[in-house]
Amino acid sequence: MDFGLVYPALVAGRLLLAFAPLPDALKHDHQLSSPLTSYPRLQEGVYLFQHGIDPYSGGLFRHSPLLLSLFSTALPLNKFTSACLWTACDAISAWALVKIWRARQRVSQSSRDSLIAAIYLLNPYLLLPTLALSTSTIENMLFLLSLMFASQGQSSPSLLALALLVQLSLPSAIFIVPMILLLLSDPVSRLASPREFNTYLSSILAKLGLWWYFFTEMFDHFRPFFLMVFSAHLLIYVLPVCLKFQHDILYATYILAGVYATFKPYPTLSDPGLFISLISLFPETYQYLRYPIVTTLLHLHSALLLPLFHHLWLSQGTGNANFFYASTLVFGVSNGAALLDAIWAGLRIAVGNLPEGYELIQK
Amino acid sequence: MFWRNNILAVLLLCCTWCLATSEEFHEALTFRPLQDGRLATRFTFTTLLRGAYPRDPSTLQEEDESQHYAIFPLALGQVLREYAVTELHLTLNAGKWDYDHWGYPDEPGVGTGAELWAWMGESAARSVDERWKGLRNALSGQFCASLGSLDEQRTTSPELTFRPEGSLPQWGTTHQLRHGTLPSEHVCTENLTPFLKLLPCKSLTGIASLLNPHRLFDADWHGLGVHVRYLENEGIEVRLSFQSVFDPVRYSNGRRDWSLRSVFDRVIDRSCPIAHSSEIRVAIPKEETAVAITPDSYTTHAGFVYFNVSNASKPLDISMSWPDEQKFEYATVSSAVPLTHVSVRRTLKGSSQSRGRLSVSITNHMPITIQTSYLESMPWLLQFYLHSLQIYSNGVSRDDLISIVSYIPSVPHVRPTLFQAILTLPPKSTLHLSMDVIKPFLRYTEHPPDAQRGWDLPPAVLVPLLHSNSSTLDPGLSNPPSGFEQLRLPRRMYTPVLLVDLATPDFSMPYNVIIMSCTLIALIFGMVFNLLTRKFTLIRVSPEPK
Repeated sequence: MDFGLVYPALVAGRLLLAFAPLPDALKHDHQLSSPLTSYPRLQEGVYLFQHGIDPYSGGLFRHSPLLLSLFSTALPLNKFTSACLWTACDAISAWALVKIWRARQRVSQSSRDSLIAAIYLLNPYLLLPTLALSTSTIENMLFLLSLMFASQGQSSPSLLALALLVQLSLPSAIFIVPMILLLLSDPVSRLASPREFNTYLSSILAKLGLWWYFFTEMFDHFRPFFLMVFSAHLLIYVLPVCLKFQHDILYATYILAGVYATFKPYPTLSDPGLFISLISLFPETYQYLRYPIVTTLLHLHSALLLPLFHHLWLSQGTGNANFFYASTLVFGVSNGAALLDAIWAGLRIAVGNLPEGYELIQK
Repeated sequence: MFWRNNILAVLLLCCTWCLATSEEFHEALTFRPLQDGRLATRFTFTTLLRGAYPRDPSTLQEEDESQHYAIFPLALGQVLREYAVTELHLTLNAGKWDYDHWGYPDEPGVGTGAELWAWMGESAARSVDERWKGLRNALSGQFCASLGSLDEQRTTSPELTFRPEGSLPQWGTTHQLRHGTLPSEHVCTENLTPFLKLLPCKSLTGIASLLNPHRLFDADWHGLGVHVRYLENEGIEVRLSFQSVFDPVRYSNGRRDWSLRSVFDRVIDRSCPIAHSSEIRVAIPKEETAVAITPDSYTTHAGFVYFNVSNASKPLDISMSWPDEQKFEYATVSSAVPLTHVSVRRTLKGSSQSRGRLSVSITNHMPITIQTSYLESMPWLLQFYLHSLQIYSNGVSRDDLISIVSYIPSVPHVRPTLFQAILTLPPKSTLHLSMDVIKPFLRYTEHPPDAQRGWDLPPAVLVPLLHSNSSTLDPGLSNPPSGFEQLRLPRRMYTPVLLVDLATPDFSMPYNVIIMSCTLIALIFGMVFNLLTRKFTLIRVSPEPK
C-alpha cells in the first residue's frame, strides 16, 4: 500500500484515539508509566514550579529539567496540547523508523514503508503508553531520531538527539558507544551529563522490571552492593555487543535496545515495544529465528497476566504480590528469549549461506 | 551616688530575691456535664516557679547555674535546662474527641496518640535539631512513651498553627518550633505513674488522689498533658493536666447522676498541704431540669459551683444528680445544636492500594464568614498531588476559598509533607476539599510487625480565626454554641486519625525472590555470553561424496 496514504491515516487514527474519552486509570497504570515517566507527576512538577515551590525538593517529581522547562514555558500542559504532542511524537518516531529502513536499504522509497509505520503505530506496547501520556514516548522519539540521523551520517543532529535522550533517561547512556560507532566519526567526548542517578532506586514504585521486587525484599545491608551490581550489569553488554556486531552497528543498537528493555531500572511497556518495533528493520533475520512462536506466546502470556495480577493485588486485594512478581518474571523471560533469538539470528546471517551438507555450530 | 541609699535597697533586694524564687502550686478539678449524658473532667496541676528564666541557649557550652526546686518537678526541670527549652507541650491521648457532641475541650491538644511540640531558641553551640532529638529521648524515658521515634521523618515546623502560648524571651536569637506526632501511640498506666511522680503530693493527698488508673483508662476519651511555658514578669509555669470524658449512664442503669465515688471510685481524704489553692469546680448545666449538688458548702459564680478542698469536710465526695429524671433521654439528631463554630470530617477514599483521594469537609455553623488555618503534616507514606486539589462549596468549584501558605513536599525516607493553607468558609455552608494521594510501596524492613493493619496518619489541625470584616455578632442568634465568647481566640481543632492501607510484599519470601531474580538474570547473561564469545565452525554432516 502506498506509504503516503497509510501513514497519514494511521496518524489521524491515533489522534482520534488520543482525544477519545479514555479511562483515567491508564494514566496511573504502573505498567504503562513508571515514576520517571508518569504524566500526573509531570503535572505536579509543573504546578509546583508555577507556584514557586522547587519541584525537586520533594521525592515526587523525577522528570528531567528539560521537560519541566518545556511545559512550564513553551507548551502548557492540558488535555488538548498533550494529546497532540504525544501523537506527534509517535508520528515522528514512526517516520524516523521508516527513514532508518530506507537508509539501510539505500533506497528512497520501498514497499515495506507502510508496514513498518504500521508496526510502530499499531503496536499495543507503544500505543497504550502513549495514550497514558507517559514521557517514554518522547524518549523513544529521541532515540529513533538519533538513530535516523546517525544512519544518514549527520552527526550533529544525531548527537544532539542522543544528548537530549541521555538527559531524559540515564540508562540510555548505553547507546552512546554504538551511536558514535555508527556515525564513524572522530572520537567525540562523552556527552553523558548525569543529572541524578536513577540507579539508586529510591522509589520502588516501578513494578514491571526485574529490579523492584528484588530490592523490596533485600535487606538494607546489601542494598548498595546489589545496586552497584545491577547498574554495572547493564553497562557490561555495551562493548561486547558492539565488538561482535561491528559489521552491522545498527544491529548492535537493536540488540542493545533489547538489553535496555530487559534490564533497566524503571522499565515500562514502551521499552520492549521499541525493541519489537525495531525488528521490522531486519526482515532478513526472520528465517534464522529459532523460536519466534515461543517468544510471541510468552509475550502474549505476560501481557495478559500483568494487568490482571496487578489489579488483583492492588485494587481488588484478593491476590498477592507474588502473583504479579511471577508475571514480571515471565515478562523478563519473554524479553530475554527475544533478545537471545535476535542475537543468534544476527550472528547467523553474518555467516551467510551454507554449502550443501554442512552444519554450523558454535564451539 | 547609688551606694548612698544602699542599706535599705540591699535589704529590699534580699527580701525580693527570697520571694522572687518562690514556688506556687495550684490544683484544680473541673467537671462539665455534657449534652449526651457524659461528663468531661479536667485535672490541672500548675506549678509556678516565680522569677525563673528559661536557659539561654547561647550558654549551652558552659556549665549551667545550679537550680533549686522545692515543688517544681526536678526531673522535668533538668530536662528543660539541659536542652534550653522555652516552651514545651506534650500530650498523650487515647480515643476520638467528638467536637460535635462535646464542644471544645478545655485543653486544646486532643489529637490522638502522642504529640510533642517545643519552642527552642537557636544556638550556635548545639543545633535545635540536636536538642530536639535529646529532648524527645529524655521525655520518652521520663514518661515511658516511645517518643524517641519522632525522628526527622515525623518532625515538622508548622509555625502558623502552633503559636507559643507563653512569651518567648528576647535573647537576640530567633525561636524555632519543632513538632512531631505519633498517632499510634497507646496510653496506659505506665504513662500515668511517672506523670504522678512529678506532682509534689504525688497521688497520696489532695485532688491527685482521685486519679485512679482503673477508672481513668476506662473512660471514653482520656489524655494527659504536660505544658511548660514562660510567662513574662512571672516565671516558668508547668501545667500537668489530665482530661477525660466519662459516661455515667453506662456505669449506672440509665441515669446520668454522678459522684466522685461513682466516677473515680475514690474520695478525697486529705488535702494537699503544699497546695496554694485546691478547688473543684462543677459547671451547672444550662438546661431547665433541676440539678442537686451535694455537699452544700459551695460558692456559685458565673455558671460554676466552686468547692474549696482545703476547707471542706473530709472525706469529700461531691455528687450531682437530676432528681426529676428517671432515665436519661438522649437528644435526637434534629434537636442537636452544634457546639463548635466549625465541624470537620476527614476521610481517605478509594479502595486501591496504589492511590486514593483525601477528602476533607468543613461545615461552618456560624452566620458569618470564618477563616481557618488548615495544617496537614503527613508522613511521606502518602504523597500529595497538589495539582489535583479541588474545592467545592455548595456544589460550585471555588478555588478562591483556599490560599496555600506553605507547602513542603515530602522526601521518601527523609521528611514528611507540610501543608499549611488558609481556608475561607462562607456562612452556614460546607466546604469540600479533596486531593489525589499516592501510596508508596515500602521496603521489606520498613513494614511494622502487623503490616496488614496499616499505618496511622496524624490528625489535621484547624485553627478557626475570626474574619476581619465581621466583628459584631448577631444578638438575635438563638442557642449560640458554648464557648461563643471565645470566638476571638484561636483554638486548635484536631480531626481524627486516619488509617491507610499500603501494599505489602510477601514477607516469607526474601530468599526465594533473590534466587529467582538472580537466576533469570544469570541465565540470560550466560546465554548472551555464550552466543557472543563462541566461534562459528562448519561441520561436515553428510559424508564426502566419493
